[in-house]
Amino acid sequence: MTVEEREQRWGEAMRAELRGDAAAYERMLKEVATVLRRSLGPRLVRVGLGAHESEDLVQEILIGLHAKRHTWDPARPFLPWLHAITRYKLIDFMRHRRRETRLRVDLPLEDWLEIVESPADEAYRASWEVDRHLAVLPVSQRKIVRAIAVEGASVRNVARGLATSEGAVRVTLHRAIRRLLGASDPAPTKLPPRNEHDKHR
Amino acid sequence: MTSTDDLIRSLASAAGTRRSASLRSALAVTGVASLVCALLLVFSVIGIRQDFAEMAVRMPFGFKLAYTGALAVGASVVVLYAATPGASATALYALSPAVILSALGVIFDPTAFPIMGRTDTAVASCVGAILFLSLPAMILIFVVMRKGAPTQPLFAGAVIGLLSASVGAMAYTLACKNDGTAFVAIWYGAACAIMAAIGAVVGHRVLRW
Repeated sequence: MTVEEREQRWGEAMRAELRGDAAAYERMLKEVATVLRRSLGPRLVRVGLGAHESEDLVQEILIGLHAKRHTWDPARPFLPWLHAITRYKLIDFMRHRRRETRLRVDLPLEDWLEIVESPADEAYRASWEVDRHLAVLPVSQRKIVRAIAVEGASVRNVARGLATSEGAVRVTLHRAIRRLLGASDPAPTKLPPRNEHDKHR
Repeated sequence: MTSTDDLIRSLASAAGTRRSASLRSALAVTGVASLVCALLLVFSVIGIRQDFAEMAVRMPFGFKLAYTGALAVGASVVVLYAATPGASATALYALSPAVILSALGVIFDPTAFPIMGRTDTAVASCVGAILFLSLPAMILIFVVMRKGAPTQPLFAGAVIGLLSASVGAMAYTLACKNDGTAFVAIWYGAACAIMAAIGAVVGHRVLRW
């Protein structure tokens, strides 16, 4: 349907509505809904909204069209009028969504203070303690333990990152754990010099 | 899908039920009503000029009436434009007679009336009185505008402020003692600008639909 045909058809339906022709009006509203769905859907998808939201917006526009139909002058073209309403409703809809999103993710000051104060302090202390424990390990083992046990990387990724085999990473991890267990023993264990261990990894 | 179809069916069942009178006639009635309100306020609160009969035939009064009249007519046209989606923006030219009149009033002022008025309080009382007199118009026209479909609520509110200020100023001409065209052009214009700003703020909040 070309723009002129659509203008002709919908304008005619709007005039029929004035005379009380419900069937013509209903047919036109359905066509308008289809066209709106097709043109607004992709736009909303682009800003991360789904089919559900686009259907909500289509309904909003139809209600607006119906509620404000007396502001359309039958002597004037219908499509520019509809376009202005669609545009207004789209902007209003996005504004509402933005506000809702802000309310949903907004952080009250108290929560914010909690985040920046105590838990951060604890986390800092914990990571400092981990560092202290790992200090007993040679550099190569420390790297692997940190990656797998602290940062939570997979054995495969670590192996790829260090350009070795998964098996070698596993063996090193085992050795490191044994050493850490030994280090946490109350009995004082003498640490051999680091570079010596680095040799037989 | 189905809920939209239901919605369409219920909307269609209301086909042909005719709604309120056209916006144009509603605005005309409101304009007259708000001018009457403002005139009542002038008579009861401010009081018309002592030398009214003598003053009414001289040029400055004619200028005041022409200026506020041009503003009221122009702003009415623009209010209708703001209330109608997809209307032609040429409606904005309706304000040009008022703009031209005010420019002429400032440039070719034949009265030698001081721009800041004869007394210290002239400006404040003139602007304050116009703001006061335009309040009923503002409320009434906002009510009418809620029946329209303003797609730019901020702009629509500003134009409503302008129209109500011009109605208030028109009523104030009966009381205004400042017989200088430059004074009138500047300070009546300032009152209009203040009302337009207030209207924009209110419209942004009130005129959503």
